[in-house]
Amino acid sequence: MKYCPTCNRTYTEDRQKFCSVDGTQLLNNQVTVVSQKAQTPGQPDPLEPIQRVECQWCQSQNERTALSCRSCGAPLDIRNLVSESGWREAPRLKDMTEIRFGNSTCQVEGEIVPVAEMSLGPGDAVFFEHHVLLWKDATVPMSVMPLSGGAKRLFAGMPFIVSIAQGPGRVAFSRDATGELVVLPLHPGMELDVREHAFLLASHSIDFTYVQIKGLRNILFGGQGMFMDRFVTTSTPGLLLLHGYGNVFERTLAAGETILIEPGAFLYKDASVTMNAQPIKLTSGLFGIGGTSMNLAQISGPGRVGIQSMYVHHHTQ
Amino acid sequence: MSDNTNLAMSASARVYTCSWCGTVSDGTSLSCPACGATVDVRQTVTRSEWIELPGRKDMAKLQFGNSYCQIEGAYVPVADMNLAPEDSVYFSHHVLLWMEPQVHVSAMSMKGAWKRLMAGLPIIMTQAQGPGHIAFSQDKPGEMIALPLQPGQSVDVREHIFLVATGQVAYDWFNTGIWFSTKNGDETETHYPMGMFMDRFSSPTTPGLLLLHAGGNVFVRDLLPGHSILVKPTALLFKASTVQMQLHIEQPRSTKSSWSSWVSTWNNRHLWLRLTGPGRVAVQSAFEYIEDNGRNISSHSDATWQKW
Repeated sequence: MKYCPTCNRTYTEDRQKFCSVDGTQLLNNQVTVVSQKAQTPGQPDPLEPIQRVECQWCQSQNERTALSCRSCGAPLDIRNLVSESGWREAPRLKDMTEIRFGNSTCQVEGEIVPVAEMSLGPGDAVFFEHHVLLWKDATVPMSVMPLSGGAKRLFAGMPFIVSIAQGPGRVAFSRDATGELVVLPLHPGMELDVREHAFLLASHSIDFTYVQIKGLRNILFGGQGMFMDRFVTTSTPGLLLLHGYGNVFERTLAAGETILIEPGAFLYKDASVTMNAQPIKLTSGLFGIGGTSMNLAQISGPGRVGIQSMYVHHHTQ
Repeated sequence: MSDNTNLAMSASARVYTCSWCGTVSDGTSLSCPACGATVDVRQTVTRSEWIELPGRKDMAKLQFGNSYCQIEGAYVPVADMNLAPEDSVYFSHHVLLWMEPQVHVSAMSMKGAWKRLMAGLPIIMTQAQGPGHIAFSQDKPGEMIALPLQPGQSVDVREHIFLVATGQVAYDWFNTGIWFSTKNGDETETHYPMGMFMDRFSSPTTPGLLLLHAGGNVFVRDLLPGHSILVKPTALLFKASTVQMQLHIEQPRSTKSSWSSWVSTWNNRHLWLRLTGPGRVAVQSAFEYIEDNGRNISSHSDATWQKW
């Protein structure tokens, strides 16, 4: 039996050499999946069956000897940082960590304002908002992605033009403030909603659309404006990179579980998670007379929600 | 200063005194239970005797009353409070990051609302009552400072540095008395290089916890009586109430004799804050630029001048 290290599909036909979905070279052997916590990366024992380490951030399977996840770059040799309230810190990527997708690689460089340097293979492409482009090889062709709802996007202050860089060649991206790169490999059938202007780049296999935020209160006080970006994978996996300001934390909410967050702190969520503006009345004095109110975003599960700790909204041109 | 390994062995138990906050603990955990400072590293002191804020392990846990605070993240740290039913905290509402729905929040009214409004300070503090989780963070990269306040202890904090304080900490504010006026024709403009007001936090009877957020890195220094240093007014984070403040104006000497150099010398001045001990002062490395229109100073608060 063989498996694809990119999308984790398994193939029973031993003669097959490449993944029929993403073209990655298949690896041999039926493997035993072990948890990351129980596994110390090192040399495998030749007498034991080959084991794989599951990345706790993106759930991709990795070879036992790997020090970082090949799909998201998360270190596999250090424990996860999870607060007692259940927030998991986005994995702090080691400088120069390499991530693979399709025939391409992404190297993450720097720690304060990290750079995503893509080495695009032939046939691979990434799309991005033009203001995050840092440098590129002169030979990398650029084109514009056709977007639906252009006028609506323009009025909502969302990027009207999304650019595409086509391999082969190198192209690098970074944002304009201290923060973390959040690497989100999207497995087939996933839908992720992202705060506008927070996405750094996405691989071409991901469908890019937008979600209209419903309700006047949500538009006025929800902190997201009128639209959110939506990234969808159907049958092919993809790679999505976000940039969060400050530190990034993720929490998985159970069905019906609710938390309140500062609207500007919202970074991403599974499409199954709902978000509604919630006014909080701040009263003082006898009989609760006077005071003021503030608006928070009420987030309800099931699904993941990601937040950023430096929640000031940096305007981008 | 002695290093951070203030461990003393007694016949019965090991005792650790945190060199940052002075809290005595049994030394069994890797960080101080009151301020979160790492216990297994040496203090970093510059040759000019500034002490770097002690390192803190990610997810370090602090205790106050029956509640806990976990500090998460490295670039823009988050203070994640787990409030017991009888405990509360107060804060400016813009630092709230997330909270559980069962946490009860209300407004904490303050005296002098109009003056605070005019000075750009928050006129309403928000209070959160346990039980439940509530988390706070600021909007710039930097360090979080935990100041456990013992009964009778007080500290003066520059405006907009305060993040959150426990209910046992009393809050007051006072006029900084640091100002100067410039004149342009009939128009007089008054400037407050470090703001009009300063926050004062104290613990009258029971210990409390005060959390601040600084831009960049934090350095502290203990000034001896009569010893003074000059710092940029917006770099000051906090000071002991015993430390005196005074405006200091410095004009560099021109090296050329042209008209343009004479004009630039006239306009070129440095505004300083003179801090005089005894007591502890703290500065931040990322501070705001002070707008100075360079016009002639017509009047000012008590100040010293230096013309080179």
